[in-house]
Amino acid sequence: MSEGIEVINVTKQYNVFAMEKIEALKDINLSISKGEYVGLLGMNGSGKSTLARLFNGLLKPTKGRVYINGIDTADPVNLPEVRRLVGMVFQNPDNQLVCPIVEEEIAFGPENMELPLEEIRRRVDWALQVCGLEGKRHHAPHLLSGGQKQMAALSSVLAMLPEYLVLDEPTSMLDPQSRRALLDQIYKLNKQEGITIILISHNPEDLLQADRLIVLDQGSICLEGVPRKVHANAKIKELGLDAPSLYQLIDHLESNKFPVPESIKSIPELVEHICLEL
Amino acid sequence: MTGMKLGQYVYGDSLIHRLDPRTKIICCILAVISVMASVNLYYLLCLLLLMVTAIVSARLNPKFIFKAIYQIKTLLLITLLFQAFLTPGKAVLTIGTITMTREGLALGSINILRLIILFMGSLILLMTTTPMKLSIGIECILRPLEKINIPVHNFATILSISFRFLPTLFEEASIIRNAQKSRGSQFDSPELMVKIKSYAAIVIPLFEASLSRAGDLGEAMDSRCYTSHPNQLRMNSLKMKGQDVLALVSVSVIVLAVIPVSILMK
Repeated sequence: MSEGIEVINVTKQYNVFAMEKIEALKDINLSISKGEYVGLLGMNGSGKSTLARLFNGLLKPTKGRVYINGIDTADPVNLPEVRRLVGMVFQNPDNQLVCPIVEEEIAFGPENMELPLEEIRRRVDWALQVCGLEGKRHHAPHLLSGGQKQMAALSSVLAMLPEYLVLDEPTSMLDPQSRRALLDQIYKLNKQEGITIILISHNPEDLLQADRLIVLDQGSICLEGVPRKVHANAKIKELGLDAPSLYQLIDHLESNKFPVPESIKSIPELVEHICLEL
Repeated sequence: MTGMKLGQYVYGDSLIHRLDPRTKIICCILAVISVMASVNLYYLLCLLLLMVTAIVSARLNPKFIFKAIYQIKTLLLITLLFQAFLTPGKAVLTIGTITMTREGLALGSINILRLIILFMGSLILLMTTTPMKLSIGIECILRPLEKINIPVHNFATILSISFRFLPTLFEEASIIRNAQKSRGSQFDSPELMVKIKSYAAIVIPLFEASLSRAGDLGEAMDSRCYTSHPNQLRMNSLKMKGQDVLALVSVSVIVLAVIPVSILMK
């Protein structure tokens, strides 16, 4: 069984009215390896969320196939396994927290997976600890801050021990501090726990830490590659996606004959590099 | 909207908190039966004492309980006045053609006491039981109905989701109300039709938002392996302990005491 996500010739159409059809994705081909950190960038209506829902089997492709570790997501028999493998965190934390208490919320997925009680408890404790929510175990989700709510949503997915984590614009409703904390947490999950990350955003600043950036436009992949190279492409500006401030600064430095290695993914790393070079 | 709300669960580790939700629900039902069956003041005072003991042992804030009772003052007052004026007996006060009687006042006071006991009982149940445990408890009690093909588990899930989303809906209603107010809606207008129209401007967006929220929630549940035949095993599965048996026996004895009390009264 091949590991990773394979999207083969996928087209997704929505029926808006009886006669009218909208093509959200057009003949997409994509493969994501295990352990990768992939950023999906695009403007509103570019098909990012549709693609995310295809990974988890929430949507079926109209044409083509999506395979998760070689498992076809279009076959309803495979759905429990697909959903165990691919965890999803949505944009609005308020709309994805099902249970009235944080601890019960985190146990919701493992309970549905019919795991033994001891295992459920172990996973809940682990997920709470990973996301720093031990102190909020018995709280009602609606009493948490926006950032904590999104952390609760993340830990409730982590408790299912997914191999792939798809995050659909998880930072769009957060304040800058919570946004930073969530992005750091996602990065840690990728590097320390080895979870494959597919982070979707319309904000290029959110995707600085990605290993690979995929840019969607009107349902098609229009650019793909290392984030810095993608942002160096003139086409991305035509889509109305400005380069992150880090890359603007690097461009400025390089145009002044100060080379910056490609491994640099954040302002603190750049500052450290400048200090070492000067 | 983030403050303490009426009947909201308060985290604690008291004996009452630790009781099985089924025990608490059954005790509440027994309390309702006994309160309805008796008009004996001393018996009702015993029940009130039982409720106060439960509040103290659950370490609930008495101030909050008093405030909650104060919130139903209108209902209590109406009960008293109806009984006082509609019960025949020795006149105490006459206003026009209606007369307040001594017997009516006594019966009204007893009914107020009954309502307070019932209200305190439901507050103790809600404030010491997490909504999830409450819905599991209701599900367990109703489980025999599954034999006649009633989907009790789905009913319990709906109940649990309702508990979860009530505060969110209140919050949303408050946001929509403020948004409509800022655009000139007159919620305080003395004209009834204007007032009704203003409230329609809250209900319609709230309904639309709820539908969209339900769609998102359905997706989130689907993505976490929820099916229409979910696992019955839960992290907080219920287990009756010695303390539950003790509580059930004690409350049953108190409830059964209503029979000799009623016979003695006759």
